Order: sequence, then C-alpha cells, then structure tokens
Amino acid sequence: MSVDTGGHVSLEEAKLLVEYLETGQQEKADELIAEIQNPINSELFAEIGKLTRQLHDSLNNFQLDSRLNDLATADIPDAKERLNYVITRTEEAANKTMDAVESIFPVVDTIQKQIKAVNPLWQKLMHNKLDLPEFKSLCIDIDILLKTTDKESVRMHDLMTDVLMAQDFQDLTGQVIRKVIDLVREVEDSLIGMLTAFGISSESSSKPSKPKVGDNLVEGPIVNAAQRDDVVADQDDVDDLLSSLGF
Amino acid sequence: MFSLEGALDKNMKVLVVDDFSTMRRIVKNLLRDLGFTNISEADDGSTALPMLKEGSFDFVVTDWNMPGMQGIDLLKAIRADANLSHIPVLLITAEAKKEQIVMAAQAGVNGYIVKPFTAATLNAKLDKIFERLG
Repeated sequence: MSVDTGGHVSLEEAKLLVEYLETGQQEKADELIAEIQNPINSELFAEIGKLTRQLHDSLNNFQLDSRLNDLATADIPDAKERLNYVITRTEEAANKTMDAVESIFPVVDTIQKQIKAVNPLWQKLMHNKLDLPEFKSLCIDIDILLKTTDKESVRMHDLMTDVLMAQDFQDLTGQVIRKVIDLVREVEDSLIGMLTAFGISSESSSKPSKPKVGDNLVEGPIVNAAQRDDVVADQDDVDDLLSSLGF
Repeated sequence: MFSLEGALDKNMKVLVVDDFSTMRRIVKNLLRDLGFTNISEADDGSTALPMLKEGSFDFVVTDWNMPGMQGIDLLKAIRADANLSHIPVLLITAEAKKEQIVMAAQAGVNGYIVKPFTAATLNAKLDKIFERLG
C-alpha cells in the first residue's frame, strides 16, 4: 500500500482507514495509522538529532574555551586576593593616620596648657600691673613656651607629613580595584555569551535590578544615592525623617 | 549618671560596638576628645550583649551591619532585657535606607548617625540624647 510520505494524512487514507474499521480490520487500521505518522516521527527525530548535536557542540566549545576555565580557577580567586589587599591597605592607612593624629593631640594640648599658664601674668603686663619679680618669672615662662612650641611645631610638621603619606593607599587600592572591575566585566560578558548560546534573551532590563539585600534590609554603604528614592542622602535627611515621624 | 548641673557624667561607662577596628578607634577617639574616659569595645553584637549583661554600662554606640549579631538586633535585645532596657543606644552606620531608619526608631534607638559623619554631628547627637533623658 503506497502511503503519502509528506506527513499529512490524505482524504484517500482517511477513507481507507474508515473502511478498515467498518470491516473490523483493526490491525490493518493500526498499521495504516502507523505508516501515516511515520514521516512525522522521522522528521521529529531528525530535529531532535540536530538539536542534540548542536548542544553537544556548544558544550564542547565551552570546555575548549580555556578563558572560562581561567576565570573560574585563577582570576576569581585572584580577585578575592586583590580585594583583601584593598581591605588590608586601607586598614593600614587608617591606623597610620590615627597614630599620627593621636600623637599630635597631646602636643597641641601641651602648648595650649602652657599658653593658658602664661596668660595671667601676661595680662597683668598688658595692663601695666606687673611687678619686677613677676616680670622675670613671666620672661622665663615665655622663654620655655617659645622653645617648646618651636620643638613641637617641628614634630607636628613631621606627623602631618606622615598623615599625608598615609594617603598613598588610595592610588594603590584604586589600581587594584580597577583590575577587579575589568575582571567582573569579563565574567559578565561570558555569562551573557552563555545565555545567548542557549537562546535565552540577555537583554538588560530597562530598570536596573535591585541590589542584594540581607537580613533587616542590610545593604551596606549606598554608592548611588542620587539614583535612588528609598535612601537618605545625608545626616540632615535622617534628622528630617525622624522628626517628621515624631521621633 | 548626671551631675548636679544636669550635664551628663562623662565618667559613664560606654560600649563601642563595630566589626571594623578602625571605626571603633575613630569613635573612641572622638568620645575621648569630648571628655569620655571610660570606654570599652566589642567587635560584634554577639560579643557586646554578654558584656552588657555583665557590666553595668551606661551607654552603647553601635554599628548596624555586623556578621554575628546586627546592631538592630542588639538594640532589640537590649530593649527586651529588663536590666538593660534603660541604656541609651546610638546607631552609627552606613545603612541609609529610610525603611531601616524607621525600623531603628521603632525599635527604640535614641539616635541615628549615618556614615560618613563628623565630630560635630556626634557631639550634637550626644547632647540631644542626654538632654532628652535629663
């Protein structure tokens, strides 16, 4: 029996089918059905075969792409190290600066105390009420004050220079962070490439995706306050918000 | 805790809580500059709470975002404990969402300072807190 192999059932076939069924030839009817469907089935199998081959090739390509492998095994751990470096450098810089500052505070306090100590006699002098022994005492005190201030000014200058130099972390950490940004961009591109290969749309949504938020809405420092309406910009905003609610 | 003039007693026992040692150091220095002399530190809400339960502290300054127990949860724990609920709590944090600020206020925080902050802001908020309690 010749059957149309185009995959579409013909009127002729349908009539034949009905004839088989009306005359109780169930087996022949089933055979006919199978033959009609066959072309559809083989097309389907051909399609599945093609897709499987495509998937196989794509997966192979990923495995062959050593860039992805490098990203996972070398660059990301490297990035973590770099970011840890940033934390270390900034902590060092902060501590160096605070060391200098903590050294300067007592120096400034000492000078202030000495000035306050000298002041009463000095005021007396300014009002022409100083007697000679007091004047001599005042001269000695002022001499000490001048010598101390001179010495401590030099020391403060050095400490200020330490503070200045401690800011070098910004340049170093900036360079390191730039490298990490490059890495992130590469990973982003690879991910988009993967999504595209599997036919998933990777169009970025018009609205930027919301940042990851932890327990109690924790998010850390906000880096783009200007583009958001759910954050406060400064302390004044905080105070306004609290007083508007009666706190 | 308050002297006869109603000014706050700067000998009061203060606990500074933050997981970054540099921030603890900054706050400690600022408080010292304002005359506070009795300052202790903790590196997380989870280490702060036992210190508070044990130690007759008068004031807590805490960060929000800490890995073990967050500042907001420390605040709630303080307010929930009959022996600690009277202690004023000041939050100093980079968390800046309006919802979070309201959350803290409703949990009973006495002051909320966002980072980065100035010494003047800290001073003003401390005055306000102890004024209100006086």
